[in-house]
Amino acid sequence: MKRITAISLLFAAFASAALAASPLEEVKATTEKVILLLKDPKLQGDEKKNERRQVVRTEMEKRFAWEESARACLGRHWLKRTPAEKAEFVKLFSEFLKDTYSDKVATYYGDLDKVDYQGEKIQDDYASVKLVLKTKAKLEHPLEYRMEKTSDAWKVFDVIIEGVSMVKNYRDQFDAIIAKSSYEGLIKEIKAKQPLNP
Amino acid sequence: MKKQRFEFFVGLFMAIGILCLAFLSIRIARNELFAAGGYEVQAVFTNCNGLRNGSAIMIAGVEVGRVKTITLEDYEAKVTLMLQRGVALQKDAIASIRTKGLIGEKYVEITPGAADQMVPPGGMLHGTEPAMDLEGLISKFVQGNLSTTKPSNP
Repeated sequence: MKRITAISLLFAAFASAALAASPLEEVKATTEKVILLLKDPKLQGDEKKNERRQVVRTEMEKRFAWEESARACLGRHWLKRTPAEKAEFVKLFSEFLKDTYSDKVATYYGDLDKVDYQGEKIQDDYASVKLVLKTKAKLEHPLEYRMEKTSDAWKVFDVIIEGVSMVKNYRDQFDAIIAKSSYEGLIKEIKAKQPLNP
Repeated sequence: MKKQRFEFFVGLFMAIGILCLAFLSIRIARNELFAAGGYEVQAVFTNCNGLRNGSAIMIAGVEVGRVKTITLEDYEAKVTLMLQRGVALQKDAIASIRTKGLIGEKYVEITPGAADQMVPPGGMLHGTEPAMDLEGLISKFVQGNLSTTKPSNP
């Protein structure tokens, strides 16, 4: 009996160690790291734009639940795709999102004065972390990360900027494109938007 | 005898009329008396400005339910959605507060997701999008324009 308790305690310790960081801590760690890396004197200037972008891409790669995010963005069309198509879409989508956001973050975080972490809310396997980005021009932009508990950590699957959900935005756009042309048409359009990383 | 019968029918007619009136007023007030069964789902919005009890819930423009209650919870709006039976919501469905037309009334729009799991009756819909604060955005845009043009045009 004692041994069973000891083993289960050990397992519990492992499990909690694996999920030690709370959603807020995860977001804070990544955000602070990106801000710090972008401040690197070696990365300043217009000619280093791609390097700055790369920094953001690397951090995004680790922090996003790509499959959940891609599935949510494709919405009900996801169900009609084969496993191979799904895998291709996740890869394409992650590249597309990294391109779009790394550009914005790399430019925008340079103007950042302060980040206000407003707290987290956890319910079941979902969490939301709210922050306010304060720019040097004294503007405040509310940001919310929607996260999901995965096997190893809390990962982001949706970003809500100024009350507009990224997933919802892309779900509507993708849906419109598929309705107008086809799934293949959508893939073509996403591919066309990726001149940076072929 | 005949007169009594006549009076009885007049009374009956009046009673039916009053019942119909009561039924209609309850229906119009949207406290559905004999509502076709449904189930409840909760959703939390950071802002549900303009939404009220009885507001419509739509999927692809088709009404699938109504807002039952709106309460404040932890300084956010907790909205109870009453959905028709047979309308299942995936876990990653998103509820957004939209406006009919430019200045029309607010309603909840749901875009279906693709998750395998469904939101159970009484469950929580995690994907929400708050009501758009148009004035706030405009003022931010105007302000933003003024302050961001300053450094580039010294």
